[in-house]
Amino acid sequence: MVFEKVKEIIVDQLGIEESEVALATDFENDLKADSLDVFQIISEIEDELDITIDTDQNLKTVEDLVNYIESLEA
Amino acid sequence: MKTAITELLNIEYPIIQGAMAWVADADLASAVSNAGGLGVIGTGHDSVDIVQQKVEDMQSKTDKSFAVNVMLLNPHVEEVVDYLIASGIKIITTGAGNPGKYMARFKEAGISVIPVVASVALAKRMERIGATAVVIEGMEAGGHIGKLTTLTLLPQVVDAVSIPVIAAGGFGDGRSLAAALMLGAQAIQVGTRFVVSNESNAHQNFKQAILNASDIDTVITGQINGHPVRVLRNKLTTQYLQIEKQETGKENPNFDKMEELAKGALRRAVVEGDTESGSMMAGQIAGLIKKEESVQEIILDYVNSAKAVYKERQAFFDN
Repeated sequence: MVFEKVKEIIVDQLGIEESEVALATDFENDLKADSLDVFQIISEIEDELDITIDTDQNLKTVEDLVNYIESLEA
Repeated sequence: MKTAITELLNIEYPIIQGAMAWVADADLASAVSNAGGLGVIGTGHDSVDIVQQKVEDMQSKTDKSFAVNVMLLNPHVEEVVDYLIASGIKIITTGAGNPGKYMARFKEAGISVIPVVASVALAKRMERIGATAVVIEGMEAGGHIGKLTTLTLLPQVVDAVSIPVIAAGGFGDGRSLAAALMLGAQAIQVGTRFVVSNESNAHQNFKQAILNASDIDTVITGQINGHPVRVLRNKLTTQYLQIEKQETGKENPNFDKMEELAKGALRRAVVEGDTESGSMMAGQIAGLIKKEESVQEIILDYVNSAKAVYKERQAFFDN
């Protein structure tokens, strides 16, 4: 559920295909997203899910981000 | 001049000096503070001992407000932060990352924290975690840059946050200071023009290269690996961009050769004056800068010409 939402935001933000986003996808190496893109994605997620994400977490992959969000909701 | 930033930082003019690596030492920063701006000491990858030396050097040269820039990728960042808090520093600017981790301690110590940001999302995040102000930096700037221009980023950030915004990137004289204030900035940050001040210890060859530069003489390296840097074009950048181009087409690009070229290149330019294989970080406004002057002359020129252009153009709005 969280993954689907995160995927939707990444796809929308970076203008890429859904098939390019999996749990293991690395923002920088696989999606060529720079730090500004990642902050933008995090911002969108915060707005949509009404949560606050601590960016000091090491969020390198989609899975890192999903796990972090799930830990907030637990 | 009086703006939210001059009041907040207790300075006379809304002009902040950029923390240019190898250039922003106590000689330059104290000259800026003594002339009514905000001098900023750069600390790059410095160990805590060097930072302490720089701060003490600064304190011996000025009793005015000044800031220390913390480069968050510095391997010694933890000790540097501990020292700055303990030593009673009042203003910290941050670059290359997110200062969130240290924010609570900075605030507790009563330190004004001013991060450099390159997007609206980052500016909002910095406001949320307690930044006192933000520096927005357009891609016209020298050194490490973002993607937006100052003209587009500045008003968007001004609308998105309620803390004061300082504009950086492209500010070569008073006309641009006036324009920045019109766009909602409370101050500007100046880099390249201070590199060629009398008080700057940058090598004369590097200063001359800036003075000789025309409008089209900067290039951006490192766009491929996500770390774009604006520098004056020379042998180094030509080689670097060639490798970038060659490697990009490959399935497994090898950017090691680029790292090899870039190693120590900034020091070579600024300290040794190597204008061929040194990395001469400078903004696009370099073409406007035609003479070496004292820091005081530079600051007064910004202020006086901003006031003059404001008065001169006022009639445009009145009719």
